[in-house]
Amino acid sequence: MLPTMNSLGLIREFLQNRLGVTPERAIPEAPLNTLGVDSLMMLELMFEFEDRFGITLTKDLKSPKTVGDMAELMDRLRSDQD
Amino acid sequence: MKRRRVAITGLGMVSPYGGDLADFFARLLAAESAVRFLHTDDIPRPLNIPFVSCPNFDVDAVLGRPLAGTMDRFAQLGTAAALAAWADAGLARAPSAEDREQWGVSWGTALGGTLAYEKGYKELWIKGRERVSPLSVILGMNNAANAHISIQLGLGGVSMSHTVACASSAIAIGEAFRRVRNGEAPVMLTGGSDAPQAYGVARAWEALRVMAGGDATTSAQACRPFSAERRGLVLGEGGAALVLEDWEHALARGARIHGEMVGYGTTCDHSHLVRPDATGQIRALNMALADAGLLAEQIDYVNAHGTATAEGDPVEIAALKGVFGERAGRLPVSATKSMHGHQLGAAGAVEAIVTVLALREQAIPPTAHLGQPDPACFGVDHVSSARHHQPLRAALSNSFAFGGSNAVLAFRAVRS
Repeated sequence: MLPTMNSLGLIREFLQNRLGVTPERAIPEAPLNTLGVDSLMMLELMFEFEDRFGITLTKDLKSPKTVGDMAELMDRLRSDQD
Repeated sequence: MKRRRVAITGLGMVSPYGGDLADFFARLLAAESAVRFLHTDDIPRPLNIPFVSCPNFDVDAVLGRPLAGTMDRFAQLGTAAALAAWADAGLARAPSAEDREQWGVSWGTALGGTLAYEKGYKELWIKGRERVSPLSVILGMNNAANAHISIQLGLGGVSMSHTVACASSAIAIGEAFRRVRNGEAPVMLTGGSDAPQAYGVARAWEALRVMAGGDATTSAQACRPFSAERRGLVLGEGGAALVLEDWEHALARGARIHGEMVGYGTTCDHSHLVRPDATGQIRALNMALADAGLLAEQIDYVNAHGTATAEGDPVEIAALKGVFGERAGRLPVSATKSMHGHQLGAAGAVEAIVTVLALREQAIPPTAHLGQPDPACFGVDHVSSARHHQPLRAALSNSFAFGGSNAVLAFRAVRS
């Protein structure tokens, strides 16, 4: 648990550990699918997000398209559930 | 239906010794054990068992991290072995000009993704969480290895897994053999893999009281099939694969042929779940010989199932004597599990490869640490040290499973 980590940091860490994507490539504008994130990996990322930040995602969430969309979604959900 | 000859054009393995197949076979000939003492960090009671691991298997380097992350250890071992066999066969990973829609995979695993399931149980019951990883199902499913292999190699034919305990991959190979011989598939990738180091799995085997004990000093010699001093089996992880190919197809593309697969016999004792029965094994041995069109006197080596259990070893010897009669006393037999351990669903494939290499290299690896054979195992020619320059024509590989399932594979040497 890294309480000080922000959503973008978590996404970058996941992409590096899981896919070997360097943080420099994981810019907010980068489409997640071009970095190798498929639907299954999106589930993994969501799971990691829930696990690390202790929140629960609803089942009807729409999948974000870019790294920035993902970070924004996570930030919003965290602030909603604080 | 015209029977086709079946060539073995690819061999691959994740070796517990860390090297290639030539290194693996050389170490077997040198009677070098891969068994080590395994001490885990499980709390509160760590495992302390003799075990065979593949410590040098660099999964990220072989498969790439994104792919490896979608696999349990058994699928990683299996896919790595399959890719090695495929490369050994001189086949490109991605389909090029050839149509692979009839090419298939027949895989063996006794346990499947047990480590993934165990991780989930820990999350639920030890950590008290409500959820498990969303990858749990695809990591744990028993057909994960063959599915990954089909995807990685672009194989559009049958993709099936066989779960038949210790005979899983021998039966997978036999079923693949039939498909090639019957003309249903010109190429089949076959073999097996397992990773039985899951805590609950190891404890379950301990509870059966069939596991050899050992410590840091004695583990390397813990597995002693047919010996008067045998104390039980040693589990191991592993993955091994063979490429079986229509003989004419192999010749047409100029493939190197390691050997010929000529027969397969499989039966069930239909008598007891864990007590083997020689009559069921005899039927499997005779079935394999008949299927191969071979006479018993044409068999020059048997790679035994030989797990080093008190009950299993004498029954296997009795079965061999039942088939080979007086000649059994001159029949070279060895159990290489003494060195590479019992990799459950991978064992049949590992031993099939050992048998093919023995025929190819005309050399028989020994039963290591045999010492004095158990009188109950007398009656065959136990190979206690490597035999080089042997005129080997044909050989059998035995796999006899809990549940009473028996599988015998028959191979013939190919003269270059």
